[in-house]
Amino acid sequence: MKRRQGWLFFIIFLLTLSVYLLINYPLQLGLDLQGGSQLTLQIIKEEGKVTRDELEAVYSVIDKRVNNLGVSESNLQTLGGDQLILELPGEQNPLVSSRVLGKTALLEFRTQKEGTSTDLKNLQLQRLSIKELIEQYSIEEKNQNNDYYLKVIQDDLKDIEQELNYSSTSNDLYGKLIEIKKYVDKEITNLFIKTDLSGKDLINAGRRQEQTNSNWEVLLTFSSSGGEKFAEITKSIAGTNQLLAIILDGESISEASVGNQFASTGITGGSATISGNFSAENARELEVQLKGGSLPLPIEIVETNTIGALLGSKNILKSLYAAISGLIFVGIFMIFNYRILGFVSVLSLVLYGFFNLALYSLIPVTLTLPGISGLILSIGMAVDANILIFERIREELYDGNTLSRAIDSGFQRANSSIVDGHITTLLSCFVLFLLGTNFVKGFAATLGIGVLISLFTSLNCSKTILRFFTTYQSLRQKNLYLPKNNFSN
Amino acid sequence: MKYNLELIKNKIKIFSFSIFLILLSLLGILYSTFNTSYKKPINLGMDFVGGNELRIERVCEEECSNLSPDSVLENLREISSNKNFINNIKLQFQNNNKLISIRTPYLSIEESNNLITNLDNIIGPLNYESKDSRLIGPKLGKRLLTNCVTSLLVSLFAISLYITIRFDKKYALFALLALFHDLLIVFGIFSWLGILLSVEVNSLFAVSLLTIAGYSVNDTVVIFDRIRENLKSKEEGYNETIQLSVNESFRRTTFTSITTLIPLLSIILFGSYSLFWFSLALSLGIIVGSYSSILLAPSLLLKD
Repeated sequence: MKRRQGWLFFIIFLLTLSVYLLINYPLQLGLDLQGGSQLTLQIIKEEGKVTRDELEAVYSVIDKRVNNLGVSESNLQTLGGDQLILELPGEQNPLVSSRVLGKTALLEFRTQKEGTSTDLKNLQLQRLSIKELIEQYSIEEKNQNNDYYLKVIQDDLKDIEQELNYSSTSNDLYGKLIEIKKYVDKEITNLFIKTDLSGKDLINAGRRQEQTNSNWEVLLTFSSSGGEKFAEITKSIAGTNQLLAIILDGESISEASVGNQFASTGITGGSATISGNFSAENARELEVQLKGGSLPLPIEIVETNTIGALLGSKNILKSLYAAISGLIFVGIFMIFNYRILGFVSVLSLVLYGFFNLALYSLIPVTLTLPGISGLILSIGMAVDANILIFERIREELYDGNTLSRAIDSGFQRANSSIVDGHITTLLSCFVLFLLGTNFVKGFAATLGIGVLISLFTSLNCSKTILRFFTTYQSLRQKNLYLPKNNFSN
Repeated sequence: MKYNLELIKNKIKIFSFSIFLILLSLLGILYSTFNTSYKKPINLGMDFVGGNELRIERVCEEECSNLSPDSVLENLREISSNKNFINNIKLQFQNNNKLISIRTPYLSIEESNNLITNLDNIIGPLNYESKDSRLIGPKLGKRLLTNCVTSLLVSLFAISLYITIRFDKKYALFALLALFHDLLIVFGIFSWLGILLSVEVNSLFAVSLLTIAGYSVNDTVVIFDRIRENLKSKEEGYNETIQLSVNESFRRTTFTSITTLIPLLSIILFGSYSLFWFSLALSLGIIVGSYSSILLAPSLLLKD
C-alpha cells in the first residue's frame, strides 16, 4: 500500500508538471491551425543524387534570403535529402517569397565578343519590342472583348519571329511571348564571353532610387579581390566598342560601355551599380537574392499551401469540439459499462490528455490537423488497454475472487496482450514517421506518443487510482464494479 | 452476460461472406482500372497527380445568392487568357452558396492569384481570411505516391515479421490473411466510392490504411492470445476452445471498436472537412477489422 501511495504522489506531481509546462510553454500550432503559407522547395539536379553538402549549401542560401526578406517569423527545414520546407506563419500571399526564393540568382559579368556590335544592336531592338508586347498583353488580358488587340499582338509577334528567323512552339500566346523573350536573351548572352568575376565576389548589395527618374538601381559592393577583377575587366574593354554585360540567370539585365578614361586603371573603388529599369519591388527582390548569394543548384517550388487565419481558428475550434465530444461519449460509454472502473478509466484518460499535450510542448511537436486526429484516435486506443484489464477483472469477480485479488490478476494477465497490441501500432507509426511527408509525420508522432503514454496511464495510473479508491470501505462493494442484473449469474 | 457465437456451425457462412466482400472489392478495383476516365485501381487525388485546389468563402450580407457554376465558368473563360486550363476547371458551390471550391490542373502561384482576382471580380467580394489553397506540382505528386506505397509495404513487412517471430507460423499466417482481407476491402470500398461519387484518395488515405493495419493485427493478436492461453489450460476439444475464446474476448473487441469509433465519429461530425474521408476510411477499417478478428481469423484456425 505504501508503494502505491508513492505512485499516487508521483502521478499528481506529473500532472502538476504538465499543467506548468502547458502554461509556460504554449503548444506550437501548425499552419493549418494558425493560418499562413507553406512552400516545398525541390532541389533540381540533372544527374546523381543531391549530396549532403549541396543540401546544406542550398539551405544556407535560402535561409539568408528568407531572413533578408524581413518576414517576421519563418521556419525552414530540410526534408528527405533533396527538399526544403519553408513555413511562413501569417503569410497569406506567398507570391513575393516564391519569386525571390525560386530564382537561382546566378550573377555573371561578361565582356562582349569583338565585332558583334550590329548583331547586338539588332537583338536589343527585338528585345525591346518583345518586352513591349508582353506589357501590352498583360494589360489586355484583364480587359473584356480583347480579341482585336490580342490579334494585333499576335501579328506583331509574327514580325519579330520573322526578324529573328525563329518560330515558337508554345500553344498559347503568352507562352509564345515568353519563349521568344527567352530566345532573345539567350542570343544576347551568347554574344558575351564569361569572365572570372561573379556573384561570389560580392560582399554586399543595396538599392536606391535613381536621381533622374523614379526607377531604382541596385548597388553592388565587391570584395577586395572582386574589386581587382572588376578593375581588370573594365580596363580590358575601356574605350573599345565592346560592352560589359551583367547577366542574371542567363538574362542580360544591363549592357554598358566603359569610357576611355578608364583605359589605364579600369574602374576602381570596388563597387558598381546595375540600372535596368527596376521598380522598387524588383530592386528589393534582386537585392535580397544577391545578398543571399546564388543557389548552387536550381530549385523548383513543387508545393504551396496557403491557409487563411480565419480558417485556421475555425479548424482549432472544430478539432476541439471533436476531441471533447469524443472524450465525453467514450467516458459515458465506459461508466455505463464498467461503473467505478469506467470512472477510473475516465480519470486516467484525462491524465492521458494532459501528459500528451505536455509532451508535445516539451519535445516539441507542432500540432497540425492530422496530428490532432492522431491524438483523438489514440483516445480510443488508450481506452482499449483499460477495457482489456477490466474484462479480466470482471471475469475474476464472476469466478468469485475477492476484489483485491481480481484487480491484481486482471492487471497482470492483460499485460502481454496490451504490449503485443501496442507494438504493432507503434511499428506502423515508426514507418510513417520515417517515410512520411511532413503532413503525415504529425499524425505518426501524436499517435506514437499517445500509444506510449497510454501504456503508462492505462497500466500504472488506472491501477494507482483504483487502489486509492479501494482504500475506502464504501467503494469496495462488488456491485459498484459489475452491473447488478448480471451479477446474479 | 455470456455470448454464444456459433463459430463452428457458421464457418461456411463466414467464409462465403468474406469471399463475397473480397470479390466485390476486386470487381471495383478492376472496373476502376479499366472502365473509368482515370484508369487507376483507385481515384488518385491531387496529392498524387498534382494540381490546384482552392476553397474560399464569399462575403454575403445575409444569404448568399444562388449562382450556377456554369455561368461563373463562362465569365471566367471570357476574362481569362489561358483558355486551356479553364476547360479543365471544376467548380462547386457548397454551404448555401457561400463556399466556393475549385479544382484545376497545376498552376503557378501567380496564375492561382490571377484566378482568385478574376473570381473576386465575378462573384466577389471574397473573404481572403477563409482561403485554403493548395498547389502541388506533378513531380511532387509522383514522389508522394511512391513514398506512400513504400511506407505501406515496409510497415506491412515489419508487422508480418513481428507476428511471425511472436507467434507460431499458423497463427501468423492467419492473422496476416485477416489483415490483407481488411485492407483489400477498405481499398475496394474507396475504389467504388471513386467510381460512383468521384471520391479521391490522398496521402491521408495511405495513412489510414497503415493505421488500420496496426489496429487489425492488434485485434487479432488479442484473440489469438486468448486462444493460446485457453488451449494450454482448458480440457475441451480444439474447436470448442477456439469458439469459447472468441466468445470470451467478444466483449473486449466490440467495446474497443466502439470506443475507437466514437472519437472517429466525432471527427466526422464536428471535425474539419479535410479529415472527413480520412476518418471514414478509418471507421470502415475498424468495423471490417473487428469482423475479421472476431469471426474470420478464428474460423480459419478451426479444424474440419
